[in-house]
Order: sequence, then C-alpha cells, then structure tokens
Amino acid sequence: MIQVANLSKSYGTVQAVKNISFEINEGEIFGLLGPNGAGKSTTLSMLSSMLKCDKGIISIDGIKLNGNARKFKTLIGVVPQEISLYEELSAYENLLFWGKLYGIVVADLKKKIDETLKLIGLYERRKDLVKTYSGGMKRRINIAAALLHNPKVLLLDEPTVGIDPQSRNLIFEIIESLNKQGMTIVYTTHYMEEVERLCDRIAIVDNGEIIAQGTKNQLQELVPNTEEVQIEFETFTNSQFENLKSAISTQMSKDSNTVHIHAGVKELPVIISTCNSLSVKIKDIQLRKVNLEMIFLHLTGKQLRD
Amino acid sequence: MIKTILLKDLKLYFSDRKGILLTFLLPIILITLFAFSFGGVGRKKRVPKPTTLLVVDKDSSQASINFIHKVHSLPMMNLKQMTEEKALDKVKKGKNVGVLLFNKGFQEAVMNGSPIPVELQFDAAREIQTRMLLSVVQESMQRAFGKTQVNSNLQVKTTPVIKLTDNKPNPGLVQAVSGTAIMMLLFSIAAIGGSLLDEKEAGTLKRLLSSPIKPLHILFGKMSTAMIISVLQLAGMFVFAWLAFGLPIFMDTLTLALLILCISFAVSSFGIFLVSVVKTRQQLQGMSSIIIILMSAIGGSMIPIYMMPDFIKKVAVFSVNYWGIEGFFDIFWRQLTVVDILPKMGILIGMGLLMTLLSVPLFKRNIISLD
Repeated sequence: MIQVANLSKSYGTVQAVKNISFEINEGEIFGLLGPNGAGKSTTLSMLSSMLKCDKGIISIDGIKLNGNARKFKTLIGVVPQEISLYEELSAYENLLFWGKLYGIVVADLKKKIDETLKLIGLYERRKDLVKTYSGGMKRRINIAAALLHNPKVLLLDEPTVGIDPQSRNLIFEIIESLNKQGMTIVYTTHYMEEVERLCDRIAIVDNGEIIAQGTKNQLQELVPNTEEVQIEFETFTNSQFENLKSAISTQMSKDSNTVHIHAGVKELPVIISTCNSLSVKIKDIQLRKVNLEMIFLHLTGKQLRD
Repeated sequence: MIKTILLKDLKLYFSDRKGILLTFLLPIILITLFAFSFGGVGRKKRVPKPTTLLVVDKDSSQASINFIHKVHSLPMMNLKQMTEEKALDKVKKGKNVGVLLFNKGFQEAVMNGSPIPVELQFDAAREIQTRMLLSVVQESMQRAFGKTQVNSNLQVKTTPVIKLTDNKPNPGLVQAVSGTAIMMLLFSIAAIGGSLLDEKEAGTLKRLLSSPIKPLHILFGKMSTAMIISVLQLAGMFVFAWLAFGLPIFMDTLTLALLILCISFAVSSFGIFLVSVVKTRQQLQGMSSIIIILMSAIGGSMIPIYMMPDFIKKVAVFSVNYWGIEGFFDIFWRQLTVVDILPKMGILIGMGLLMTLLSVPLFKRNIISLD
C-alpha cells in the first residue's frame, strides 16, 4: 500500500531524516515510535506532501507523490500535530470548509460530516465554536477534518498530545474503528503504550534513522531477555550503579533511584545477593515483560523519553 | 519579579532583529522625508528654480511677442507657449495649475496706458499654488515693463477654469475623503494579508498544503478576500462621505465603481506582496507601517501632492495613493469622463499585476516552505 524508499531531509547542516525506507500493507496500523526530535514528524510531513524531501521515493497505491501530487493527496488524510482548525468557526463550518477543498459535492459532504461527527461523538456540539471546545474535543475534530474525503490512508502525527486519558481512549477507539473499516493508518508518537495498543507493526526511529522495524514480537526478539528486573533502592548513587554494573554483566540502566536490568526470574537471586553485598537497601522489586521502552533502551542505550 | 518579566520581554522583543530594524527605521525614514520636504534640509543656497507657466498669446502683436519673450528671459519664469485649447485641457486634466492668457488688445493697452488684458486661468482646487503663481507673474510683469507702466494697470485678472459650483464638492473634501480612505485601506489590507502568517503559526496552512488545493490558490484566495473587503471599505467610506458631508458619489457611479475596483486590486496585491516578503508578524508590522506611511506621505494622503516639493512629486507616481487620489479628483472635481480616467486605472492595475507577480516566488519561498 505505502512504499517509502531512501527518504532523506536536511535542515541546513542538520540531517533530520537519513535514508529511511519502509513498506506498509493495506489495512495495517503502522507506528513510528521515537523520542522528540527523532525525525518522526519530518517523515510524516514528507509523507503527507507538506514538506519536500531532498531524496527518496514515496508512493501510495502505486501513485508516486512526485508524479501526481493531486491524486496522491486525495488518497491521504492528514492529522497534523497542531490543532489545525479555525477557532472562530463552528465544528460544522470547519468540516464543511476542509471537505470542500477535496471537491466533494456539498450534499454528499453534509451527509459525511454528520456521519463523522457521530463517529467522533461531537454531533450534538457541531454548531459550537471550536474555541469553546476542550483540548480532547479539538483533537477529535482535528481527526474528523482528515476523514471527510474517505482517504485510504490516515496519517496521524502525535494525535493525543496534551489531552486527558479519557479523551485519549476515545481517540484510540476512533482509530481502531476506522482501521476495522479497512483504513490504513500511520501513527507517530513517543508514547510506547500507544503503539503497543494500536500498531500492527512498528518502526523505531532515532536520530533520523529507523533502527528497527517489525511486529512487536519481532522487535522483542532483538532483546536477549524477554523480561526485565526493575529494582527501586532507598538511595542509589552513580558509584553504586557502576559497582553493580561490574558485578552483574548484564545490560542495565539507571533512572534516579531505580535500576532496570535486562534479566529474568532465573537471575533474580544473584542480583539480590549482589545488591546485598554492595550494601544498597532495596525498596521494591518488579519483574516485567519486555516492552518497547526496553527494546529502545537495548537498541540505543537511552530511555525513550530522553 | 518585575525585573524578571522585563528581562524576558526585552529578550523576546529583541529576538526578531529584522523586525526591530524595521520598527526603528519607520520614524527615521519619516523624519528624513519631512526634513527634506519642509525643513529646508539639503537645500543649497542658490537661485530658486524658475516657475513653469503655460502661455497663450491671443493678441499675437509685436508688443505681446516682445513682452512674452522678455518675461521668459527672466530667471524666475519659464513660459511654455501653446494654443488656448491645449493649454486649458492641460489645466482641466490637472496636469498644470494655470494658464496665462494675453488677450486681444494687449498692444493697444500698452500704448494707451490702459489696464492690460492679461488673465490667469487656474484650477480652483489648487488655491495656494495659484496664489504663489500669481505673485510670481505680477512680479515678472513689473520687471518686464520696468517703470514705463503704471502699477495699477498691471493687475492680472484671475478666472478659475475649474470652479466650485453647486454640483461640485469642495476639493478639500475630495482630498480628505480619498486620501484618508486609501491610507486606511492599506492598513486594513496589510492586516488581512497577515492572516496568512496566522495560518502558518496555527498549523492550518500545513493542512491546506496537504489538501489537493494548489499552493498559489491559497495566495489568490487571500487576495480575493482582501479585494472584496477593499471594495466594501472604500464604498463604505464614500457612502459615509455622501451621507455626512454631501459628497456627490452618484454623479458618475460607473467611473467611481471602476476606480474603486482598480484601487482595490492594487491595494490587495500590495497586501499579499507585503506578507510574502516577511516571515513573522513583527516584521510585517514594521514593514507595513514603513511602506504604508511612506506611500501615504509621498502619495498625497497626508498632505495634498501639489504642496509637495518637486522631488516628492516625482516619486509620488510610485504610490497607489497618488493614482487613487488623482482618480477621485478626476471624477469629483475635474469631472472627466471614464475614458480620460482610464490611463490612471491602467496604472493602478499595472501596479497590482506587478506586485502580484513579485509575490508569487516570495510566497513560495517565505510562506509555504515549511523548512
């Protein structure tokens, strides 16, 4: 469905995206996961034709962006990170405006707007000005504006930034519902729990490069241990962390008084006895299944939120 | 706390260097302009430039020929002789202030010592300029005659070519309404152009660019909005002037409507040109203030153009204000036909086209490029 080959983009001397390639199948939810500044939004901006790439090929359904941009744009629905709406217009007026840009017959458009407003749960408030909406409601209208022309692909750039968990769940449900109807979705975020919940396949992006991609199971295989031991200490200095690292030859990272060790239940007795020998007081121990955060840590040596 | 807020605000203010430069540049440019125009700055102490005056010799006698030659040879006068029809047409179309007519009987009057039949026909809208001209003419004639003629016989008769009548508004009213309306229009259109920058900042421009709309349609959409608002604003100003001051806006409605359309096109092109040049709101504010006030000052919105020094009159032709105000004078004061005003409308459209053409690459580079 979507082919991206050797995509690159520089801003002056800074190379924001370096030779990125990936393919997305029809009906898939594909996640671009990475910390802020990794190059996710730049990639999505190029994919949505808002930004010209320096190099590379983008095609959707066999239509190349460089070849037939107008046709290409009708295949995609774009949800920018910003609330790209006119605050002084009502939700209905906003949707009518954005829909008209796609040349939809007004009668059909009006039906589609009603349908979409019902899908996002804002039909009753359709006549209210967008400026009177909560952040979560604005985010939902922001998504709705990208759906009116029935795009084959929906590109979402961090669509849950700055909203409460309830609104976030509502957005997830909307995305899942659209996907069930056959829509292909590309989703960028730096929240690993979002891609874990939504995405069929994930590309992990760091420093403008895709450092790994695949299904969650395929990504888990990149980490030697499928579990992680998380120990919280009363106090834990950097020198104590260095001592622990030299005593246990397993990959680990420190986050304040907590240490994350790539190890399973079998290694637990050794870890505890080493901690005791180092005279560090354990406050809490948790054994966790490997998640994307751990995979990112394993691949880059840094936390996803760094 | 106050200090913290002060330091933060100063840092933010000075962060846009281009904007700051423009903000300081505005008063500097205006001070310089008015100092050169009215403050005597830069003027060398030399003999003033001769006054140019149209002359018609209807007497065609030896005395009138000699006299015209004598006046022309004076350093203060530069006479241009032509037919009465041509000279009066020039005054009627606002190209010259007045024409000096040597009527039949000039030679006889000189020989008899009776009052000489010399007449200055002038445009009553240019009262101050006419008075100045009259005093130069009187002085020149005294000098040309020497002491051979009694002073009282040298009084030049004055007759307005275009005069204030019942169906004509006061030229001061035409100046006030047209000058102010165009200047204020420029400010409002700059603000409408600025909404493009708001779209960029709010992110709606991104969504527009991802839709199938052609990028230039965004620019022309804004320009069309500016054009409609310009028409409404100008029409509103003239309707107000009609209701409040009795400006006869229905004396030639078609020509007035056409002129309003042409000015609106030029001004809306100016609006999109301005916004395509800048990258931030602060830059737009500084740049638009400078250009609009400068154009209004030299174009006759603030001070009538005929009161300006010659060099300002020469550069005034580059401003929308000048052509707009002259067009309104043609309609209300000179009462010219639409055909006579067409060249001025053509210049306004030309200015608009030029600014639109310049805006296109600048818009692509400064506004739609999200780099």
